[in-house]
Amino acid sequence: MTDKLSREEVLHVAHLARININDAEIEKYRVQLKELLDEVDKIKDVTNYDKDMMITPVKEEIKMRPDVEKDTISFSLVRDNIPHTSGNLIEVPVMIHE
Amino acid sequence: MSDYKKTVGIEVHCELKTNTKMFSSAANAYGDEANSNITLLDLAYPGTLPTVNYGAVMLALRAALALNCEINEDMFFDRKNYFYPDLPKGYQITQARTPIGINGYVEIGEDENSKKIRIHDIHIEEDTAKSVHQTDHSYLDFNRAGVPLIEIVTEPDMTSSDEAMLYLEKLRQLLLYADVSDCKMEEGSMRCDVNVSISKTEQLGTRTEIKNISSIRNVGIAIDKEATRQEELLNQGIVIQEETRRFDDVSGTTILMRVKEIGNDYRYFPEPDIPKLHLSKEFIRDTKDNMPMLPDDRIEAYKKRNISDINIKKLLQNKPLSDYINLFLDEDIDFVVLSNLLLGDISAYLNRTMKDLTDTNLSKTRCLELLTSLKEGKITNKNIKDILIDYLETTKDVDTLLKEKGIENINDTELLIKIIKNIIENNPESVEAYHNGHDRAIKYLMGQIMKETKGAANPAVANKLLQEELKKV
Repeated sequence: MTDKLSREEVLHVAHLARININDAEIEKYRVQLKELLDEVDKIKDVTNYDKDMMITPVKEEIKMRPDVEKDTISFSLVRDNIPHTSGNLIEVPVMIHE
Repeated sequence: MSDYKKTVGIEVHCELKTNTKMFSSAANAYGDEANSNITLLDLAYPGTLPTVNYGAVMLALRAALALNCEINEDMFFDRKNYFYPDLPKGYQITQARTPIGINGYVEIGEDENSKKIRIHDIHIEEDTAKSVHQTDHSYLDFNRAGVPLIEIVTEPDMTSSDEAMLYLEKLRQLLLYADVSDCKMEEGSMRCDVNVSISKTEQLGTRTEIKNISSIRNVGIAIDKEATRQEELLNQGIVIQEETRRFDDVSGTTILMRVKEIGNDYRYFPEPDIPKLHLSKEFIRDTKDNMPMLPDDRIEAYKKRNISDINIKKLLQNKPLSDYINLFLDEDIDFVVLSNLLLGDISAYLNRTMKDLTDTNLSKTRCLELLTSLKEGKITNKNIKDILIDYLETTKDVDTLLKEKGIENINDTELLIKIIKNIIENNPESVEAYHNGHDRAIKYLMGQIMKETKGAANPAVANKLLQEELKKV
């Protein structure tokens, strides 16, 4: 285990954050980012996902809902909250790569 | 022959055949008007909370049992976080850590060629809204948002496109017969992502993922094309990148969608809005006990009743016919005759008229009447064709239809003996051939009897009399 990140790792994070950093900053962040990651790493020491792990504020098990249709709303009720529609479809900015 | 060995793993998403969605009580229906099956939860309105659909959990459990999985009795759901307009709440509810089924298998091939494809896990999740992409905008239909899905993930156990297609055929058949999903790839209720890698050694190569292939045949093509593409790159010394590709069915090739630089990080964490879910032993046992008859059990039942292998195969390809024949499994009838009738004249009628069996008047009772009439020689395999359409479309009985059509079978022994004697006299070569042990000769003579009687002779009676008369010659 090293006490610093590599230059490449720091530059990668900088790239993701879309910021330019100089050599001095790279050296500084190699240490600082590593310290941050070590703190986060402590989570790994916690025993997680065991059967009794609490995931909700209530301890009760879930009661399942019968498979029966209800509470359906008319699209006209929510149309006013949608900036753009086309017929009954909701229009959003173009998405590339579904 | 390539030196490279292919390795294939498959993820299948399958929509469950429920009345309502996974976490909301809006209808789960394909083809309805856009955004007509929605609740506030499906649109991610603040303050809404998910509720778990019993029907969806039961069908997912049934699928897990049909695929021989170990069942996770204590489950919870996880959030898979990502941002996309088809998922307005910003996360998909799925099961990352406690999938409902683990360590299952699907057996492909037969006898000594059979192979178990291991199932890593089956987990429950919700579908996203459907996106329609146009040049200037994209459009969203939330009818699909929240539709219950199961994702079935295999181990990388397949080594060819043929094995992958066999696996998908078998999986589709199992899910159809377990009545879990309608598995219509063309409507998107069954969707496949395929992972492909090649290697010359035991160590697996870098895999690429091919997404959303729309037919089982295209899965085969996509695997072979992708393996060839990877081989060409490796032969040029180029390293394969872990990437996601899509299959283009027009060009029959795979096209790069995105490079997985650092792998996906969806920040999974347990869904705090849904308490834990415990599947009781009783619930699991009831689901097992109420499992519809699966393909392997049907094959065994049909074999016991002497249905031919070819007819068994055809029946399994047609679930409504297989379900229909199952209505008779406790009856003392000739299943060879019934399967021939269903797969022959009745299927031809259904295909021609684009009807289902349920659109006809062939109730179980009426089918039994038809079979009895055939057995007793009241109708023959030939003249059944003359009454079948009316029998399927009306509620008239066999006797009425025979009368209406002026069809009368010759059961008159004296008349038949007279005809048979004539035929024997006019066909001495066939008679000699029969005595010399040529089986075909008797078929030829029977044909002559049917020709002479214009198909009206009761075949069973005519055959018996012919054999008796031949012994006398």
